[in-house]
Amino acid sequence: MRREVAIISYAQTPYEADANASREMQVLKVAREALQAAGLKQEDRYTVVTANNDYLDGRTISNMRLVEPAGAWMKNESKAEMDGAYAALYGLWRILSGDHDVALIIGESQASVYARWLPGIMMFDPTFDRQRWLLNEASAAALQARAYMNAFGISGEQVAGVAAKNLDNASLNPLAHNKLAGADAAKVLGSRMLYDPLTEMMMAPYCDGACAMVIAAGELAEKAERPVWIRGVGFAHDSYLTERTLKEMNSLRLAAEKAYAMAGISDPSSQVDLAEVHENFAHEELMAYEALGFCGKGEGGAFFDSGVTRRDGKLPVNVSGGATGANVVCATGLARIIEAAMQIRGDAEGRQVAGVKTAVATGQTGPCAQESVVFVLGGE
Amino acid sequence: MGPGIEVGQVPRAALPINPAFQWSVGNWMDHFYDGLKEGKLLASKCPGCARVYLPPRMICERCFTKCEEWVELPETGTVESYTVAHVKVGANGEFEELPQPEVIALVKQDGADTCVAARLQGGSASVGMKVKVVIDPEAESFVNMLAGYRPAE
Repeated sequence: MRREVAIISYAQTPYEADANASREMQVLKVAREALQAAGLKQEDRYTVVTANNDYLDGRTISNMRLVEPAGAWMKNESKAEMDGAYAALYGLWRILSGDHDVALIIGESQASVYARWLPGIMMFDPTFDRQRWLLNEASAAALQARAYMNAFGISGEQVAGVAAKNLDNASLNPLAHNKLAGADAAKVLGSRMLYDPLTEMMMAPYCDGACAMVIAAGELAEKAERPVWIRGVGFAHDSYLTERTLKEMNSLRLAAEKAYAMAGISDPSSQVDLAEVHENFAHEELMAYEALGFCGKGEGGAFFDSGVTRRDGKLPVNVSGGATGANVVCATGLARIIEAAMQIRGDAEGRQVAGVKTAVATGQTGPCAQESVVFVLGGE
Repeated sequence: MGPGIEVGQVPRAALPINPAFQWSVGNWMDHFYDGLKEGKLLASKCPGCARVYLPPRMICERCFTKCEEWVELPETGTVESYTVAHVKVGANGEFEELPQPEVIALVKQDGADTCVAARLQGGSASVGMKVKVVIDPEAESFVNMLAGYRPAE
């Protein structure tokens, strides 16, 4: 990378079904905490990128009243109408350009505000699919789940097992919203059937929340306590869901290849210590194992069964509970980056995994993980 | 908000704006819908890579070129994936139970390289299953003239 850029601080709200705070107050909390932890004040020079969405917020230019709580008044501020991992990417670019040394990245939305599954339907082709009312994020995900499971002999128990692992992991995360200690595959499979093969507990329910992260280069990064360095980054954009194969996550695979090349990683399964993966639906985590090169194509189910990705395994995935534990549209991928950074820094308290030096975090936007971002992070 | 009053206790206002948009379906989808009126499945074809798009696309993303060619496809196709829907999204954005589960399939029409998402009649489905298109030129809305699929045998 042209400059060494580090994550130097972060903050998250608790994630909740219906937060007892407006989104502005949630953003104020995380922005102030993250800036303070970075030793910054509003009068200091930094750029701001937020991730939020007009459809979710019910107003155009959904970032317009976030300027005040984001500490962005009269600063260089703009929005990524995507997952928050994209906001992190744009902030990184501003620093790499040399114009800025510090960026404040924020992701937020409130599921208690919007009509749960309606905004997602707006992603589908308005001249055909959207009008026919068959595709939504969940039915599309089920089509992908079936395509993947059928192609590679993945069982419902394996998909359910991922959800159970993440629900159990979330029980150790005090910020998580959706948690169940001791969850098992049978319970997940027995939950309400929505779009077969996906049951309700295989879906990461949307909730309210915000998170923020400060990244920096130069003096601030050098002087920071326990900086987490951004070693590699990649992103890719795949076709509309009906125009590509659904049995593989090719945008994630391409994004990972680019990020690994930048980070000097040639054998991810041995060089990566931990991953935080943005899985909106449980099968996506199995597909991500393959796309991230943790196992071979079609081996996601067997790789999961081996226990490697459990929190006591060799390559724990979603120790935080992942999106299953807390799914704030526009913040979920950014939260993955923050959780991965927490593990490297040793800030993860009751869910801390020992000896995490290199971690991978992913974010996704669009139906069936159409667009993917990968961050590779490393400690000192 | 007065001191000590939590957000959960203050009124929640509905957003009374329900904007309607008038999209043009575009020349290519117009041609597609005109074909359905005559019981034909019309797909666009890329002059560069010969990829066949159904529903038709005006631009081939792979060749960065305009798909000027048209091909009429046979009525047969293959189920690439499917889901048994037990719910649909209701007007309030929450899942509503369907009276009867229905199959939503991704079908690759013979001769096409992309899929159509549509209802599959007959109650059961499998990946690789051969199906035939059901066209209803009299459909209440033109977007539903491609009514769905039924088992080929």
